[in-house]
Amino acid sequence: MENIVLGIGITALAGALAAVAGAAEDTESNIGSQGDPNSQVQLAPQMGYIHRIFNKAVAGEPPAYGLWCALGAGLTWAFLAMQLNAVLAIVLGCAITIFVQGVYATTAYLGRTASLAKFGQPVYIDILKSMTSVTMAHAFVAVFCTVTICYLMNSALGHPFPLPILGFIWGIALGAAGSATGNPYYGKERQYQNQKFGAGVPIAASGNIVRYAEAGVRNSLDNGWFTAKLGGAASGLCFGFIVFLELWRTVLFEKVGAGWGAIVVGILIILVFMVVDRFIEVWARKTYGPYTKPEEA
Amino acid sequence: MTVKVEVVEGGVPHSKVMIVGLILTIVCIYLTYLNVLTKTELFSFFGGLAAVAALTWGSSTIKVLCSYGIGTGVPSAGMVSFGSGVIAMLFATKFGILSPIVAVVLAAVIGAILGYVANRVIAMKIPVMVKSLTELAMVGSLTLMGFTALITGSFNFSALIAPNTVLTITSAGLTATTSYLTSYIGGALIATVFLLGAIAVQHPFNACLGPNWTQDRMLMLAVECGFISMIVASLMSMPFVRIDAAIISLIVSIIGWYYTYAKYFELSKRDAAAWLDLSPIPEQEGH
Repeated sequence: MENIVLGIGITALAGALAAVAGAAEDTESNIGSQGDPNSQVQLAPQMGYIHRIFNKAVAGEPPAYGLWCALGAGLTWAFLAMQLNAVLAIVLGCAITIFVQGVYATTAYLGRTASLAKFGQPVYIDILKSMTSVTMAHAFVAVFCTVTICYLMNSALGHPFPLPILGFIWGIALGAAGSATGNPYYGKERQYQNQKFGAGVPIAASGNIVRYAEAGVRNSLDNGWFTAKLGGAASGLCFGFIVFLELWRTVLFEKVGAGWGAIVVGILIILVFMVVDRFIEVWARKTYGPYTKPEEA
Repeated sequence: MTVKVEVVEGGVPHSKVMIVGLILTIVCIYLTYLNVLTKTELFSFFGGLAAVAALTWGSSTIKVLCSYGIGTGVPSAGMVSFGSGVIAMLFATKFGILSPIVAVVLAAVIGAILGYVANRVIAMKIPVMVKSLTELAMVGSLTLMGFTALITGSFNFSALIAPNTVLTITSAGLTATTSYLTSYIGGALIATVFLLGAIAVQHPFNACLGPNWTQDRMLMLAVECGFISMIVASLMSMPFVRIDAAIISLIVSIIGWYYTYAKYFELSKRDAAAWLDLSPIPEQEGH
């Protein structure tokens, strides 16, 4: 019984950490225009829209966060093997990882922008200085929380996988959650505020992203500020739910039917979410959607 | 039929990059064998240099492959490279001194099969697919082998799974059990190295693609990506090799990284339309 109470406590803590990680990850990727909205940032100068948006595409979010979290976990593992204190090992491992992330971010921005010289897109050094440090800070929060979750799973819950492979798996999950949940809000709502709500992006509007702010020129920090309100929170909720429900079903039902209990509960959770998703989608289409029958003139 | 949208203009031909990359990689991996001959671990850093050479060759291969309109497939090319390479590399480590050669041959076979499947079964019909996937699998296996030699000081399977004895106190007294959890493969450090290489091999072309792509800038970035990966790999080598060997690797990688990073900044400054600080968007005609 004590084990289960401890397990539930770890589950709650991991869920809370995951919520913070998801929110930080989405804000970081939006400031860097990573993920699918990046294609429009990349396209804009080619259509004649020179902008001051940070354009750092290291890879898609899942592989990139797979690397950051696996690297954070790998370095932590190495420091733990050298008998370092766990908290110190995690902080040090994540800090070195974020140094690598920052280097990748600067080279991505410089490379992408220099390759667009034909269209007159200049390299803005102030963008490089101010945005890279902000993305590094957000990435540190995301990676630190994820590596801590992996450490808790490994040491407190006795997960059989070693730390680096847990970092690999949960890093990809974190990137996928942030990419799937947060990006529509940044890509469709923020980049295309000049389009009619729900209109999608017609070919004629491709690359015509919003480049000017309420006062002056818009940069990526404005985008991070905007998406942190709803997009970041939604991504945090998504990743928090994933981690919490995954651990919850394992802690409570692992002993039922020699492990089959946890698998059955996992499938039940997926079914429940499918029903809920379908309900929300139908409701949203009915309430807001353009997919209704065209009105007769 | 896919139409080739970009052509390699100027610079060193890809075949030359490939041959130089392959020879440098193999030579550097074999130089780590000096560890065995001199009974030290001081030559581990040659493994990192082998990985740098292999990654540079791999980024050039990705440029050739992804010129066929595979824009969003650039990161996937890195993953397929290391996914096929890890099988060849792990199998090859059982062959002692012949390991690097076996890894190259086996990776070539796996890559060729994958290329054939991609072109014929999935019908992607890209002319360079078989050749490129063959090269990428070789790059993946050699990069992994290089970083493995850097971290563990050897490319022998026995060093990769080296167990250690764990003493635990139970009711029956002190019992000794063998644990593989502290080894390179048992601790899954190979998973970190896998992603380090997979991102590093795709990043140079992914970052430099566009109408003003230049070969020297991309290859400089590839070397930089190799060295930054080598920095963290040498940090991860600290629990495995002697501390002086790890510090030599770290110093070599930091010097290499700093030089290439500064050079990359110079080359970006050369190629950029303008290099501005705190400036508004320039006025353009028609907008």
